[in-house]
Amino acid sequence: MTIEEQVKDILARITRVDKSIITRESTFKEIKADSLDVVQALVAVEETFGIEIPDEEAQKFENFGDFVSYVENKVGQGQKV
Amino acid sequence: MSLEGKLALITGSGRGIGRAIALKLASQGADIIVDFFRHRESAEQTARDIEALGVKAEVIRANVGDPAKVDELFDMIGNKFGHLDILINNAASGVGRPLVDIDVKAWEWTMDINVRASLLCAQRAAKLMVDRGGKIVGISSLGSRFVLPNYTVVGVSKAALEALTRYLAIELAPQGICVNAIAASAVETEALKFYFKEGLVKDTRQATPAGRMVMPEDVANVVAFLCSEEAFMIRGQIIVIDGGTSIGVLALAGKGEQKE
Repeated sequence: MTIEEQVKDILARITRVDKSIITRESTFKEIKADSLDVVQALVAVEETFGIEIPDEEAQKFENFGDFVSYVENKVGQGQKV
Repeated sequence: MSLEGKLALITGSGRGIGRAIALKLASQGADIIVDFFRHRESAEQTARDIEALGVKAEVIRANVGDPAKVDELFDMIGNKFGHLDILINNAASGVGRPLVDIDVKAWEWTMDINVRASLLCAQRAAKLMVDRGGKIVGISSLGSRFVLPNYTVVGVSKAALEALTRYLAIELAPQGICVNAIAASAVETEALKFYFKEGLVKDTRQATPAGRMVMPEDVANVVAFLCSEEAFMIRGQIIVIDGGTSIGVLALAGKGEQKE
């Protein structure tokens, strides 16, 4: 399973939306993710991949694609924290 | 008041009230464990500012809403330091929604961080305070006893925290541990700007007989006093820090004026 699919699964589970509607262009609002959903998704992704996503970085995510790209980049760096 | 040689853990101390408390206790000589959850840069800045005061700072990331992370946090403190003198249960979160929109997730998230974590941290801290005594201070809010807009779940969590403070104070007293809490009105922090509408600051200032907002340093000063030996006989109390807001309502409305 790719990183994108794993992140999508986590976000869909937390927001209870059908993951088929989530694309890289989807905003959190379109996925119906409120601020608590986003924090819980961040925490779940951090634990899944063993990375850290500070709020300072997360606040820059404009859509699901930004989120996934950040995770891919962090994991690609050898899970540096 | 000197806290020289004391070790203090302040949960959620990267920013806002927690940071102010950390700096205040550090200025009195305490070494500080800075716990953070979401803002590493802020926490590391707080640690640098603490070290500039000539004491030690240790930065640890732990979401205290997760019991496993609380265990990890205290395992680290136990292994590295072997003791703890001061615990400030400051970390807090919440979901600002009308009462009818509070779901189980929002309730549990808030209660887990604001209340359960305070219990779990106090339990673990008490073990590290055996034979030396200690101080535990909780950070409550006026929302525990007054109704604020969209504040239900946080207000309820703070009321529970205040009750917990009383129980801890009595049950931990034989171990020489002093437990108290403070309850502040709206404190001017980044979190305040995040959770509430802009008008709140202006409204709060106008409703405060003392004429200004409560600042994080106002809270830190009282917390430092509660951590001092001078406060030894204060147990299980909730000290209100609100510039008179909660007792001055009628006077501010002009209804408390006497007839000439």
